[in-house]
Amino acid sequence: MKKAAALILAVALTALFLVGCGGNSSSNGDSKSSDTKSESSNATSDSAQSDDWSYIQNKGEMIIGITYFEPMNYKDENGELTGFETEFAKAVCAELGVEPKFQEINWDTKEVELKSKTIDCIWNGMTITDERKEAMSISDPYMENKQVMVTKESNVEKYSTAEGVKEANVVAEAGSAGETVAKEDAFFKDAVYLAADSQAKALMEVKAGTSDIAIIDYVMSIGTLRAGSDYSDLKVVEAQSFSPEQYGVAFRKDSDTTQKVNEAMKKLAENGKLKEIADKYSLTDLVIVK
Amino acid sequence: MDQFWSVSLQLLEGFKENCILFGVTLLFALPLGLLIAFGSMSGFKPLKFLCRAIVWIIRGTPLMLQLFVVCYIPPLLTDGSFKFKERMTAAMIAFIINYAAYFSEIYRGGIEGIPKGQYEAGYVLGMKKSQIFFKVVLLQVVKRIVAPMSNEIITLVKDTSLARVIMVPEILKYAEDFTKINGLIWPIFYTGAFFLIFCGVLTLLFRFIEKKLDYYKG
Repeated sequence: MKKAAALILAVALTALFLVGCGGNSSSNGDSKSSDTKSESSNATSDSAQSDDWSYIQNKGEMIIGITYFEPMNYKDENGELTGFETEFAKAVCAELGVEPKFQEINWDTKEVELKSKTIDCIWNGMTITDERKEAMSISDPYMENKQVMVTKESNVEKYSTAEGVKEANVVAEAGSAGETVAKEDAFFKDAVYLAADSQAKALMEVKAGTSDIAIIDYVMSIGTLRAGSDYSDLKVVEAQSFSPEQYGVAFRKDSDTTQKVNEAMKKLAENGKLKEIADKYSLTDLVIVK
Repeated sequence: MDQFWSVSLQLLEGFKENCILFGVTLLFALPLGLLIAFGSMSGFKPLKFLCRAIVWIIRGTPLMLQLFVVCYIPPLLTDGSFKFKERMTAAMIAFIINYAAYFSEIYRGGIEGIPKGQYEAGYVLGMKKSQIFFKVVLLQVVKRIVAPMSNEIITLVKDTSLARVIMVPEILKYAEDFTKINGLIWPIFYTGAFFLIFCGVLTLLFRFIEKKLDYYKG
């Protein structure tokens, strides 16, 4: 009797543990049919995600992975999500006939989110890099961006030259384009580099005086450094800018959704809708879809 | 001043999530921990090893990693067909399992710390093992584990802020959003006040409980 009770407890705990640690026992069973389906399509075609678009179309909504930053995706005074990317993504989804659904993501785990289908694309001012092209399917570039230096207003003059940057403490977001600039650009050859976990933290370093210069996206600096914010005493060093780069939307590797979105973007560029949205956020000069 | 109030209200909104996560975790982890404690003291070897292995794995890996595992492994293995509708659910599961493992060790320490003589005395008086446990041992265990439990529970209050790594909108995430979106830095530091007040109340509560249980020297 006691042994039986112990055995039941053991089984119950194992089940609980497996569910907690990934659900490979029960949840696999639930989804067996869909698993075999995708496997059979793997066998017939080379690209693993060739049916990605029909997957999105079937559920009728595209889950768009974003992080909040002005002017791309942010909340207005009423708490409504707005911004250039928000409106752009909505327009593209309307063109494609699916509902956009915005899901905030952790930028560090964006690839995992995409792969586990908790989101369908990353649409958030993402810089196109070779590594990302390897790992994901990326749309045509739609916008241009550059990296700029941000520092305290009193230091703008000093850091306009390579001489002034000597031994300065430079901070950028780990893994960002700004980090590449800080580490590789000859301008920062004699500077001391520190990685922060976000662009906002990089700015906070400069604000707090623990670092001298933050290297961030020009687009991000527009929203964050405006008058009335805690960063209003920080300024962009206009004399220098680095590594022009391009933004793209990322989809699952080999996804056929990329092509659909590319076409929709072109259409919006042709009928002037894209320009209309860009005008609203004064980003017109940066848009490059023709 | 207006800004202070609107920030406070929004942070409070976020802190509500911390409180929910805290409450649900306690509610389920306390009994689950006792089950695991019984399991790891069981005479039935496989059960004992299983429970000890669970405790080893859960205590031996970072809670942050466990959050990622619960949130992302099921959809990764099922190609997206099994995913948590609410990320809060994933956070709750990870927290419950994690804290149950820690609680189980506290229970085990409390139970095994009761002198063997008390069981022997019970047997001599003709009591059954279960009678001895519930009528003699358990009350002393409760008294003994109040201090280590309160330690762990106060840690839980602060650990709830880790749920933001899987995008549960808790208080620190709200505060970080203020930095990112509105360019305000002070809300991040201000969140400390919320945790301090909550932990202060808990500390008083535990002191009260300890006092209530102080009717004999165990």
